[in-house]
Amino acid sequence: MNIIETKKLTKYYGDTLGIKDLDLDIQQGEIFGFIGPNGAGKSTTIRTLLGLIHPTAGSATIFGKDITKFGPEIKEEIGYLPSEVFYYDNMKAIDLLRYSGSFYKKDSKLIEKRIKELAKYLDLDLKRKIDDLSYGNKKKVGIIQGLLHEPKLIILDEPTGGLDPLMQQKFFDLLREENKKGVTILFSSHILNEVQKLCDRVAIIKDGKIIKVDSIRSLAENTHKRFMLETAVRVDKSRFTGIKGISDLVITDNSVSFLFRGHINEITKIIASLNLTNMLVEEPDLEEIFMHYYV
Amino acid sequence: MNIYRRELRAHYKVLIVWMIWMVFLIISGMYKFQALSANDANGLLKVFPKSLQVIFGISGFNLSTMIGAFGILFLYIILTATIHATMLGAEIISKEERDRTSEFLFPKPVSRNLVVTQKLLAAVTNVVVLNLVTLVTSILTVAAFAKDFSNNGMVIVLCSALLFMQLLFLSIGAVFAGILKNSKVSASIATAILLGTYVMWVVIDLNKNLEFMKYLTPFKYFDASVIIHDGHLDVFYVSLSVILTIVLIITTYLAFNKRDLKV
Repeated sequence: MNIIETKKLTKYYGDTLGIKDLDLDIQQGEIFGFIGPNGAGKSTTIRTLLGLIHPTAGSATIFGKDITKFGPEIKEEIGYLPSEVFYYDNMKAIDLLRYSGSFYKKDSKLIEKRIKELAKYLDLDLKRKIDDLSYGNKKKVGIIQGLLHEPKLIILDEPTGGLDPLMQQKFFDLLREENKKGVTILFSSHILNEVQKLCDRVAIIKDGKIIKVDSIRSLAENTHKRFMLETAVRVDKSRFTGIKGISDLVITDNSVSFLFRGHINEITKIIASLNLTNMLVEEPDLEEIFMHYYV
Repeated sequence: MNIYRRELRAHYKVLIVWMIWMVFLIISGMYKFQALSANDANGLLKVFPKSLQVIFGISGFNLSTMIGAFGILFLYIILTATIHATMLGAEIISKEERDRTSEFLFPKPVSRNLVVTQKLLAAVTNVVVLNLVTLVTSILTVAAFAKDFSNNGMVIVLCSALLFMQLLFLSIGAVFAGILKNSKVSASIATAILLGTYVMWVVIDLNKNLEFMKYLTPFKYFDASVIIHDGHLDVFYVSLSVILTIVLIITTYLAFNKRDLKV
């Protein structure tokens, strides 16, 4: 079942394009990464899904229900953490979280229990005033308000800013735990490393358009691999001529390096015929894949 | 009603300041007029040019009576209460965008209509409380300065006129916050309309040829000198102000639902 489905979803701000003809299918139980640089349309997509802004054209459903017609009903089961967190002045963290919990139909005692559990896990003092909290601690309040009602869909828009690496790790563990319970997660970020760590599938967005949707594994497999060979003698360049998919070939007296994209057997046949002393094959990280689509 | 309760808590301190100011205005104003009425105030004020009498709201009142003195003060009460209502109407709707809490509130399972409803109810509660404080203070103050005064009914009529004005200007503030994304602009336009309609009321009083413009300024709908003279509110103007208020509130809902939120 698709938890989020968009069809030709388009948003213009006046004449300025936000997103165009966006088609997304996010399935139940997956952690879906949404990557692109600032201004690519990630937040526009999320804000449209949440009803903060209205689509110019196209449609979207969450849990199979149209976002424009069933907004409040849909949002009963959504937890959202924005990239920047702003709260009301003069409120203690616990008061804000209780206020947040008061919007949901869930039993207030269960919400109270969940708030305390999450605060303990994230090491947050609930009695402190929000104004006095550091940015990282405000972010923790944001995480708790997004999860306190045990939503079926968690939407995160560049959520890790302000969290130290240890806390990021705890946060990711928490998300994995939620995911194991069947919760679907839409994780938007421009930090590719964290998407790679957490997500099953990823959509790459550029200038408001989706340019690739694939699994992290498949993206890595179908892109360039870097080969670095150490050789006993200098290799003649002609050994590599005529092989499709080779680029960036550099040959020195004792080494050969190149990028390869294509059928792996073709290149291993060539390599097997060389007098090697060492060999290294590097998988591209998401950053390299990303740059491949962007440059 | 969680948003309603939250808004009441968020506004009670500001409301207390407005209440203190209103009480101070009424007591000090009545004290001053009492001193004037003891010295042939009507004769004294007649030497003022007509334009000044109109601008200060003293035209058309009999200062030798306590209700005449209260009528003059009433203009300042109206200005205070409508400034409060206008600013409140604009602020309460647009504050989530101004304070950047939209991304907290609107992803919650709550429709924009329900948000507007609870916020407007909280604003109306504030306005009614200020009105009741005005009413009680006025009755007690007038009674204190005029022992034989028994026209509390007229004070109640004037304060009911005040309530219609407050609700109308509350809805003017709300409608601009509903339409516009920029909270500063919406509050400024609403306040400019308040001051503009006041100036219009003064100009119409000074130039009878502009009488046709009387429908454009709510200050003309509830002119204290006319109300005191007639002894009651004008049904046509009450109806007009209620209809305008309803139209503005409906427009607030429609516009706020239709537009993108500033995030």
